[in-house]
Amino acid sequence: MCATKVLFSRCFAVSKLNTPILSYIQQNSMSVYPNYYIEPIYRKETQQELVKTGEISKYSHIPTKATLNGQTCSDSYDPVIALFTNYVMRQGLKALAREQMDKCFENIKRLQLEKYHKCTTEEEKLKIELDPKKVFHEAINNSKPLLQLTGVKRGGVRYQVPMPITDRRSEFIAMNWLVDAGKEKDRKVRFAMQLARELVDASNNTGKVVKRKQDLHRQCEANKAFAHYRWS
Amino acid sequence: MRLFPPLAFIKRSRAVPQEPVPYKYSVPLKLKQGVSNKGGKISEVCCIHEMSVMFSCLKDNEFQQQLCHKEVESFQKCYTSFLTDKNQRSEREMKGLLTPGEKRMTSKQLNVLLKKYPNLE
Repeated sequence: MCATKVLFSRCFAVSKLNTPILSYIQQNSMSVYPNYYIEPIYRKETQQELVKTGEISKYSHIPTKATLNGQTCSDSYDPVIALFTNYVMRQGLKALAREQMDKCFENIKRLQLEKYHKCTTEEEKLKIELDPKKVFHEAINNSKPLLQLTGVKRGGVRYQVPMPITDRRSEFIAMNWLVDAGKEKDRKVRFAMQLARELVDASNNTGKVVKRKQDLHRQCEANKAFAHYRWS
Repeated sequence: MRLFPPLAFIKRSRAVPQEPVPYKYSVPLKLKQGVSNKGGKISEVCCIHEMSVMFSCLKDNEFQQQLCHKEVESFQKCYTSFLTDKNQRSEREMKGLLTPGEKRMTSKQLNVLLKKYPNLE
């Protein structure tokens, strides 16, 4: 016991000596990069903005992390779609997830075109959005919840308390709901097809996911009396 | 047991306290140069009014969110401003920086203030 104590004290003595090296290891222990590395700026638009404002000189000598595999400056890259692909992915099968997403966008296009050609008048045709990416963004926007219910224990009773959430969190919930809705299907229907249907529905403010959001809002409204119980 | 005979005649009585009675200090009678670091957590309940306004609007419109655009926006704006405010405040508190004219101070900030302007000895 005494020996271990001595050993520990020696270790601490060493760590105190080498603080600049060890401090970042302790701070972000799982990261490859030290904490002073900044996130890469890989979009051309943001780079051009930085050039315009003259802030680019600030970044010129700061060590920067390498970009991730999926992050590109390509025109077809969309950060929201990339994030959604990651939520669709299971067991690290990124190629499969990307393939499913591509198929899903194709299905959205087909569904929308089918509707478009069935329309008889010009006015109805104008209402239909044919760009699958726009449909996707609209769907996510429409399925974002405003609040969240969390359990708070007060006096031995667990209350469901409505809490405001950040934009990032609500986006995560919306995407998770959409993926869940895509999985809730008949065995013969493919995931890409079901997801496409759900996205189209959500973009029109109808369907399973929007209903789920409204149900959550209803529940929050019913529990609004407990709103002052929340602590975070 | 008999006492030593000559001492038996001395009357023993209670010790009479002298005036004025000297006061015994258990702690020094002056304020400390700091406050303890416990408590002082600010309530994080926010945007209750905005929330209730939004709920009433949503209830009127059968939870169609697009019809309550204004209320929803004000609610979200309130929450984001609350969060940024909180972050800024906690950052300042961590550093022990003082905001001039602030009425609610944390123990850390109070200690900084007391160190700058200590109580009279």
